[in-house]
Amino acid sequence: MTTAIFEQFINGTMMGSIYVLMALGMVLIYGVMHVLNFAHGVLFMVGGYLAHLFFFNLTGSYPLAILGAMVSLALIGVLLERAVFRALRDNLRMQIVASLGLIMIIQNGVVQIWGPHALQMRPPPVEALVRIGQLSFTVQHFVIIGVVAVSVAALYLFLTRTRLGTAMRATSQHPEAAVVVGIDPNRVYTLTFMIASALAGLGGALLGPLFLIFPQMGDAPMLKALSAIIIGGMGSVPGAIVGGLGIGIVESLSTLVVPTDYRDTIVFGVLILMLLIRPWGIFGVRVRGEH
Amino acid sequence: MMKRMLTAALATALMASAAYAQDETVTFGIVTAQTGPLAAPGKFQMNGFELAVEQINGAGGFQVGDTTYKLALQVYDTRCNAAEGASAMQRLVTVDQVPVVLGELCSPVAAAEGPIAQDFGVPLITTVPTAASLTEQDNPYYFRINANSNQLNAALAQYIQSIDGAPLSFIAWNNDAGRGGANGIQKLLGDNYEIGYVGFFNVGEVDFANHITNIRNAGSKSVMLLMDEEPGALAIRQIRDAGLEVQLVGTLAMGSNRFLDRLNAEYLGGMVQYSAFPPNAPIERIKTFSDAYKAKYGEESHGFAAQSYDGIFAAVEAMKAAGTTTDPEAIRDALSEISFDGVIGPIKFDETGQASPPVYITEWCDDGTRKIIAPADLAAECGAG
Repeated sequence: MTTAIFEQFINGTMMGSIYVLMALGMVLIYGVMHVLNFAHGVLFMVGGYLAHLFFFNLTGSYPLAILGAMVSLALIGVLLERAVFRALRDNLRMQIVASLGLIMIIQNGVVQIWGPHALQMRPPPVEALVRIGQLSFTVQHFVIIGVVAVSVAALYLFLTRTRLGTAMRATSQHPEAAVVVGIDPNRVYTLTFMIASALAGLGGALLGPLFLIFPQMGDAPMLKALSAIIIGGMGSVPGAIVGGLGIGIVESLSTLVVPTDYRDTIVFGVLILMLLIRPWGIFGVRVRGEH
Repeated sequence: MMKRMLTAALATALMASAAYAQDETVTFGIVTAQTGPLAAPGKFQMNGFELAVEQINGAGGFQVGDTTYKLALQVYDTRCNAAEGASAMQRLVTVDQVPVVLGELCSPVAAAEGPIAQDFGVPLITTVPTAASLTEQDNPYYFRINANSNQLNAALAQYIQSIDGAPLSFIAWNNDAGRGGANGIQKLLGDNYEIGYVGFFNVGEVDFANHITNIRNAGSKSVMLLMDEEPGALAIRQIRDAGLEVQLVGTLAMGSNRFLDRLNAEYLGGMVQYSAFPPNAPIERIKTFSDAYKAKYGEESHGFAAQSYDGIFAAVEAMKAAGTTTDPEAIRDALSEISFDGVIGPIKFDETGQASPPVYITEWCDDGTRKIIAPADLAAECGAG
């Protein structure tokens, strides 16, 4: 049983790391712009497809493919913010509708370009194995955990140690006051979308090769990430990290005691429980009107 | 006046010749998935239908009574959607008025089409759907060429009992096919056969890590994968990557060169799967079909194509026996009586409309070829599966 727990802990940490990447992107957009971008999952999926494109058609190098996917997604993020979300600023409902519409447009666009069938991509870290006792994991499991850990640290340093990061935090806390001290909210919003989209792209480029790259590959991670930010506390960066990792580990370990097809039930059960007893989440701030 | 009479005479002659030509062509209705997620297997099915039509017409057609008929197909894409299947079936029997309908890929769609066939008294011959219940509806107009899930499972359960594979675990689709298959095989194996773990996953899920841990935990010696090609390839990779040394047992979707293209032989060596049609079997009827298929389509032949090819011939044989190409009732009666040697084996429908073609168990060899290990009298070496 100890072996099984260890194996599931590693698997859960790996999937949890992916949820952390997704949740961080969504938290940034929600925290700074107060937009729940439901299209974040399709950006994750596009990351997988673009990594495939860069790997097989352009570079042949997996690290460059990841970088290519992130840069491309950053540019797509800029485009989305300027072309869609800027015009809908201050209209939360329309932003949600627009992001739901984007899911359909982008998923169908991908099907038009790459077809409906799943793509496979087996870069070296996916082919190589690490043996721990009788257990065996692909190197990609640890690549995902490591890359996400570095990305989270880099994001933390960016937000706390740079002028741009400080500007983002300032805008998130009080947009009007930020303008008074010379911060351009438009630039901050664009930058936020850019970083969040790049993180989604990174997630897709990391997870796609381990499994499959297909049009709906971002749907489940997006839902789990959404649960993670609610459990962690809406708008809280530490909450996104703890929530994402927690969900990954809980859903993996739960399958040792309940049937595997109840895995999602456990996750959403925890979410409902959290909404009932502490709706502002683990790291969230209780505001007036909430109980 | 003369000119008008000539024109009228010419028009009458043209109409008569058109009617005459129409009388010599029989149109079969075809329902299958041609677009959507199941377009690829639907294409195999169409390849079988089209190859049969090409061969029959190329040989000058077929004779019923004193008349020689050519074949044509009226095809409707059902996209594996029950509503579209029912609508296509309705259109074929009312608007197109075909004497027989063939095809369908998905069991739930066939289930929606069967009652329409019965209501309008037109025979429906399905060539791919495997849900056993389809031929248990007391529908005298429903016929099935291919083996159903009970027949496939029986062959597999017999094989599993013959090897030292207990405890046996399952990873299966969380739908009728997966749950029905897992339950069916467990029933056939009996209460004394040790089952390790039974796990279900939803269509679209790609992470099998949780199942693999449970399979390891249960000390399983063999794992049955009840799923299609895409998740099957992924599950096998993850099982092997996780270092599990288990006997893999798969479905017919996992016994083709297309599947080998998804995984290298190293992952597949020793895996067994049931098969309705081993395309490289050293059996004359299969060899002839596979050669013709490869010549036309440039790829290894496929069971869905072979079953569908036989479906066309079954309908033609029934028309010949009935002595009519237009009376669905007589064609139905003839179908229930016919007996002929198809590509997939002897075709004879039982009282429920179910044929009983042979079911094979094939095994992947280390060099990426396959061999037939059951039935014993058809066993053949690597390269023949």
